[in-house]
Amino acid sequence: MPPPLPLLQGTLDLLVLRALTAGPMHGYGIALLVHGRTEGHLAIEDAALYQALHRLDRQGLVDAEWRPSENNRRARYYELTPAGRRRLREETANWRRYARAVEAVLQGA
Amino acid sequence: METNERGRRRRPFWYLRRRPGIVRADVDAELGMHLEMRMEELVARGLSRADARREAMRQFGDLDATRDYCRRQDRAKENSMRRSLIVEDLAQDLRICLRGVLRAPITALVIVVTVGLGIGATDAVFSAADAALLRPLPYSQPDRLVRIYTDVPPNRFPFSVVDYLALTAEQTRFEEVAAYGGRGMTFTDGAVAERVRGRDVSADYFGLLGIRPALGRVLNASDAREGAARVVVVGHDFWQRRLGARADAIGRSVRFDGQDYTLAGVLPQEVGPLEQAQDFFVPARWQPPTRKGPFFITVLGRLRAGADRALAVEELHGINRRLFPLWRASYQDDRATWGMIDLKTHIVGDARTTAGLALAAVALVWLIACANASNLLIARVASRRRELAVRAALGASRGRVVRLLLAESGLLACGAALLGVGIAYAGIGLLHDFGAAYFPRAQEVAFDSTARWLLAALTASSALLFGLVPAVHGAGGPVDESLRSEGRTATGGVTVRRLRRVLVATQFAIATPLLVVAALLLASLDRLERVDLGFDTRNIVTGLVLLPSTQYSDNGRIAAFWDDLHRRVAAIPGVAGVAFADGRPPNDVNNFNNFDLEDAPTPPGQSQPITPWVAVSPDYFRVLGLPLLEGRLLDERDAQAQNLLAIVVDRAWARRFFPRGSAVGRRIRQGGCTTCPWTTVVGVVSEVKYAGLDKPDEGTVYQPMAPQRLFRNVIVRTTADAATTTAAVRTALGAIDRDLPLSSVATIDELVARALERPRSLSVLIASLALVALSLSAIGIYGVMAYYVQQHTKEIGIRLALGGSRRRVLNLIVGQGMQVAAGGVAVGALTALALTRLMASLLFGVSSSDPFAFASVCALMLFIALLACVVPATRATGLQPAVVLRTE
Repeated sequence: MPPPLPLLQGTLDLLVLRALTAGPMHGYGIALLVHGRTEGHLAIEDAALYQALHRLDRQGLVDAEWRPSENNRRARYYELTPAGRRRLREETANWRRYARAVEAVLQGA
Repeated sequence: METNERGRRRRPFWYLRRRPGIVRADVDAELGMHLEMRMEELVARGLSRADARREAMRQFGDLDATRDYCRRQDRAKENSMRRSLIVEDLAQDLRICLRGVLRAPITALVIVVTVGLGIGATDAVFSAADAALLRPLPYSQPDRLVRIYTDVPPNRFPFSVVDYLALTAEQTRFEEVAAYGGRGMTFTDGAVAERVRGRDVSADYFGLLGIRPALGRVLNASDAREGAARVVVVGHDFWQRRLGARADAIGRSVRFDGQDYTLAGVLPQEVGPLEQAQDFFVPARWQPPTRKGPFFITVLGRLRAGADRALAVEELHGINRRLFPLWRASYQDDRATWGMIDLKTHIVGDARTTAGLALAAVALVWLIACANASNLLIARVASRRRELAVRAALGASRGRVVRLLLAESGLLACGAALLGVGIAYAGIGLLHDFGAAYFPRAQEVAFDSTARWLLAALTASSALLFGLVPAVHGAGGPVDESLRSEGRTATGGVTVRRLRRVLVATQFAIATPLLVVAALLLASLDRLERVDLGFDTRNIVTGLVLLPSTQYSDNGRIAAFWDDLHRRVAAIPGVAGVAFADGRPPNDVNNFNNFDLEDAPTPPGQSQPITPWVAVSPDYFRVLGLPLLEGRLLDERDAQAQNLLAIVVDRAWARRFFPRGSAVGRRIRQGGCTTCPWTTVVGVVSEVKYAGLDKPDEGTVYQPMAPQRLFRNVIVRTTADAATTTAAVRTALGAIDRDLPLSSVATIDELVARALERPRSLSVLIASLALVALSLSAIGIYGVMAYYVQQHTKEIGIRLALGGSRRRVLNLIVGQGMQVAAGGVAVGALTALALTRLMASLLFGVSSSDPFAFASVCALMLFIALLACVVPATRATGLQPAVVLRTE
């Protein structure tokens, strides 16, 4: 397997928001989910993930709450707010347009 | 590790914010949990705990930086949430109090309207008083400017040319002295002829005051030199009105009195009070004197920096003493000396009393309005104690309740301020346009920063004045008691009542002096309106004609002009008589003259008597309808005489100087002349007011109108209407000389109305303010008594049930209210007695302690109070004991 790619600026927030569409989740769970979905192709540091979560919380895109976890620990669960859901929709569309545009150029070359 | 629940989208208002320590702990706990779970995963894969720990840390990345970053984000979020919570709280307060205010719309309306009126009126009147009395004059270094005058207590009069020349030659204490005299000229430009008003000014006038022109230049010393070209400086208004506001008008010629003047400069639009309403300024060319008088020059001086005023006055006295013997032949009054006063004091004049009175009146109305608002709000708080107690019990702090109540007052004050801004703006506009009759420097009145700050300050103090007492009061008292009691006999009932009684008594104490002042002014106005002018004032048209001396230099031509005018006007249909005079009733006297009686000469060193002195044509007495009481009237022969040989006096003059026996045949010498031939009194007629409606009849002298007199009032009695007659007189005048305007046109009735305008509007203003004060006091006492009845429904019910008479209940309640009102009225009447003395100068024919005015005001106040008490009292006596007691 080739070495994981560095993350493009700004895409981490999109990934985190997407991960949360499945329902409330704590930081560790999100890390596992993102890692699993990208199959290790993207290098995502846990540090960057937590920074992204707190940043999104501050912007009101996610909401945080302490709750008992599956193995009965108290964990900080994050959940999408309506604003977060809206942002996810916009950013997803933007990303798709971006990727299509890049792809079109690459294919034409 | 301790964690805490965190509020989600909407936190309840009682939720404590996360303190910085908790934020820190939260981040640590979260990151710690992550590392632990990662380690567990790695251990499950077979790593040792130590290796697992190292691997987890490696995978995580920069832990310290992340911790810091997360804390910063969380704190920022906390802060912004706290801010929005405060805003939310405030918005909630506002919503609650808006609901509260709207629940009692009448109360809110009364408060907003009355306090707004108070704020606006106080602000407007203050800015007028500020412009008139407080602000420094708009001249350079105004505190060193003085007016210098001839002082013959109690009168101050202007200088003569002799005085002015001597002063400029000898004074050393002033940096500069300048002088001016009034002057009227006729402006013509071929199309129109207009009588304009201006000044003869000495060369240094503009320099002394530091006035700069808007266009061109001001006058200087070379303009005043003998043989210099004629130049003129005009006012801004004249330049706009007659010169088309053209910048290239400078250097052109302007025609005044048939002569060409070169336009040297135009003054700015904003000018000082001395230049106000002046159309032109020309260099004075005062003739070298042959006698001490006449006295017509106003002298201004600029003191040297740091000059001792006492020394300056001493020098003035010294110069006058040296001058006096030189002109003894034409001036004998050696009591006369020279004096000076601050120019500002001179300009403010007697406006201080009017301004002070108006300001006091509006400020008092504002205070009453605040007291009334306070009273109404206390009543509302009292009836809302349960609501407030519930809020307090649910966790609202005392501060929060005070804030809520203050917010309510603030909201009302803001409403009042909005209205106040409107009233102040309109009022200031009115004062700017029409205030000139009442205040000097009215054109400087503006809604400026002083006015705006005062408005803000008034609004804030209103909110505090009417908000603080009820707020503190509403938040006080133990919560549970307020909840348990039924609201009727609530705790604090006694305090509330006492507080409200004091407020109502204060309202009455403030309103009484206002009403007294209004009553005195109205009584005085009534006397003024009933002053008998001494003749039938209806259907008399008057106007002024002034012949320019340049075109009318020949005596024969002047006499012919007046004869022609007389003939033409007399021929106008409806005209019953035409006469000429140099003065007009009721307050236009051209000349006051001194004289010496042959039978009772004035001892040396004393002032000769002075009376109004009116020059009239022979028809004058017939046209006005003055009956001849003794002797004969003046005739054409008297007018032709070289010297003044015959005069007619009025009855007051005859009685004053010859109380025993007839005045006819007595002889006098006029104007301080010691060598002139004697003048004989040939007749006595009835009195007419010339010096003002409010002046006593101190005697008037009529002398024949000299045929070569250049200005005359035309006095026409007509049976046609005034406007038609005026137009016809204008036509007649234009037919003789089309460049002659008829100015100061007015019927005698209009002149009287004009003379009454100032006292009338002042009385109307004060009376309407007093009415507002009276109604507010009535509202106040009604409110208190209605509250009293409501609080005592049960008691009254028991009384009635036990057979108490309704009459006694009525007496009890009315007595309660009247006690308060009577106390207030008594205090107010005493205050009024002390204060009305200050306004004595505004009164005519009424003493400032007029018992009738005081008694009727007190009676009126008590009567209104009685009415306001009787309404709730009858409601109380109408109670059905059975119903009351059952519902309790």
